[in-house]
Amino acid sequence: MNARADLPPPRPTPDAAPAERVLELMPHRSLTPKTARIFVALVAAPTFAVALMFTAQGFWPILPFAGLEIGLLAWAVHASMRSGQERETITVSQDSVIIRHWDRRGVQSSVFPRHWSRVTLHAPPAALHPSRLMLESRGHACEVGRFLTEDERRSLAVRLQQLVGNMNETPAL
Amino acid sequence: MAHAHDAHAAHDHHDDHGPAKGIGRWLFATNHKDIGTMYMLFSLLMFFIGGAMAMIIRAELFKPGMQLVDPIFFNQMTTMHALIMIFGAVMPAFVGLANWMIPLQVGAPDMALPRMNNFSFWILPFAFTMLIGTLFVPGGAPAGGWTMYPPLSQQTGEAFPMLIFAVHLMGASSIMGAINVIVTIMNMRAPGMSLLKMPIFVWTWLITAYLLIAVMPVLAGAVTMLLTDHYFGTTFFEAAGGGDPVMFQHIFWFFGHPEVYIMILPAFGIISEIIPTFSRKPLFGYDAMVYATASIAFLSFIVWAHHMFTVGMPLAGQMFFMLATMLIAVPTGVKVFNWTATMFKGSLSFEPPMLFAISFLFLFTIGGFSGLMLAIVPADFQYHDTYFVVAHFHYVLVPGAVFSLMAAAYYWLPKWTGHMYNMKLAKAHFWLSTIFVNVLFFPQHFLGLAGMPRRIPDYSTQFADWNMISSIGGFGFGLSQLLFAYIVFACIRGGEKATDKVWDSGRPQGLEWTLSSPPPYHSFETAPEVK
Repeated sequence: MNARADLPPPRPTPDAAPAERVLELMPHRSLTPKTARIFVALVAAPTFAVALMFTAQGFWPILPFAGLEIGLLAWAVHASMRSGQERETITVSQDSVIIRHWDRRGVQSSVFPRHWSRVTLHAPPAALHPSRLMLESRGHACEVGRFLTEDERRSLAVRLQQLVGNMNETPAL
Repeated sequence: MAHAHDAHAAHDHHDDHGPAKGIGRWLFATNHKDIGTMYMLFSLLMFFIGGAMAMIIRAELFKPGMQLVDPIFFNQMTTMHALIMIFGAVMPAFVGLANWMIPLQVGAPDMALPRMNNFSFWILPFAFTMLIGTLFVPGGAPAGGWTMYPPLSQQTGEAFPMLIFAVHLMGASSIMGAINVIVTIMNMRAPGMSLLKMPIFVWTWLITAYLLIAVMPVLAGAVTMLLTDHYFGTTFFEAAGGGDPVMFQHIFWFFGHPEVYIMILPAFGIISEIIPTFSRKPLFGYDAMVYATASIAFLSFIVWAHHMFTVGMPLAGQMFFMLATMLIAVPTGVKVFNWTATMFKGSLSFEPPMLFAISFLFLFTIGGFSGLMLAIVPADFQYHDTYFVVAHFHYVLVPGAVFSLMAAAYYWLPKWTGHMYNMKLAKAHFWLSTIFVNVLFFPQHFLGLAGMPRRIPDYSTQFADWNMISSIGGFGFGLSQLLFAYIVFACIRGGEKATDKVWDSGRPQGLEWTLSSPPPYHSFETAPEVK
């Protein structure tokens, strides 16, 4: 759906069992690094053209403001592209559920026993707030799918409830 | 939903999750809906403060002779009214609408830079506290006009550095807002939403943001040079030191004319959303609307000198700026034609948003026509600095920009709050506003043509009748807006439950209508697919 060629999704751990289900969540970004550079250049060109025109007339204080502004734009595009590199995967194997979250601070992962965990969709704490989908086991909890819509989160909850818990049965992966 | 290795889209991973409690929700808000709400409530407050200043102006002009205030204070009111309405009311309202609607319309979870979004809003209260605070410093508020022409503006008292710093803060806020908007639109559209599939409101804001980024450094540089001329001995605009005060006018209007379009292009986008909904037809000529908007934006860079024909310029310059200005009528005419064609043979209904949109169509066109009259150089020598100019730009900005904002509020308020507002009161507000706005501003054409200068607290007795009528219109228009505030706050507090589509009979198009009313705290955290 939204996978980008320049940023391959993180691979499952090498020691994961072959029979596993990986649910992968990633932000969507419309620009590629190349089109992002073209976009900044297209905004910068008229801005600097105007500033240089006035600088040539002796009104140079316009130029540093133009530089500051385009610098801010370049940072904003860079920050938006960088935040697009976040990833979240939920890997359900025969015995475990591994949740990994990639962002600029590194990787955070949590491991839960597949048959001794509980999937709970907590109601929104207040109007306008999103619900929270939690994977819980023995006092340890991890929120998943916090960036999904309500409908998506409910669908994910149903899917995870089929795959996780239920110690009396082991649905096929 | 999720299958093995399916990639799911679009979240902007904030550390915050749900709003903080109490005042913290607003102080530390990063959610685009909260920030959009703050922008719009702030702009409503500024609308009433700027409006109160307009009431003082119209009360003073009710009769010839000095009535209520001294001339210096009158000049302070005209200057502050303009600065507050432009930078405090109209621009923040459009930024608020962009905050609320653009993520919903492009299918993004939030704005691209939520923390910068918070910062760009919270600069504004400081900027306007400083600006309004100038009323209480020795020498009073700035009184040389919102255009800050030197050498007159250099005579401002202790308010001068406060004015410059306030303008810098407003500019910084606008720049950060524009950068956020442009990055959100360019980088966070839902999969499948190509540029020519974007809602027209998003297109108009994309072009507006581009204009803002191009011209805001010019304003910042111009006011900085005023400051250095005043305090640091430079002579950029001081003839005594070899500078050129007329060059300030060139620089200012190089910013100022695109600024005019910054205040009207998003209005075009709003009207282009509303008319199709209540005509039950798709927008006529979507592509032409996009190209017309881009053409207007381009032309806005090459018409600045039509604001200053009377300062003296070569004949070739006068001809160029006159003809370039008249060219703007072509893409604007395309827009008016397309809105009319959208309504043609449509199944029209006349809910408050549509009433304001139709009113916009007629009255903005009047403002456009008077603009064409002003573009004619020999005629402009007659009209310049008269009330004809005041009538022209108020027709563009009040029944133009402000009516579009009211149309937008009535169109999307049920989506935002989850409640329907009182239709009867909203229609009453429409009729009162439309009647009084014409009573207020139409006579000013006659006053200007008869030679009444602008920015004066007193006038000859031959101008008395139309001024009295104009003032009555002003008071009526001002009071009518209290009704608007009541309708908005009553709708926020409660009312009949709105459906998700809100305007069911109108088949509104766009991703925002696929969300519940009101939308969840985070909108599209998984990107919708655009067909």
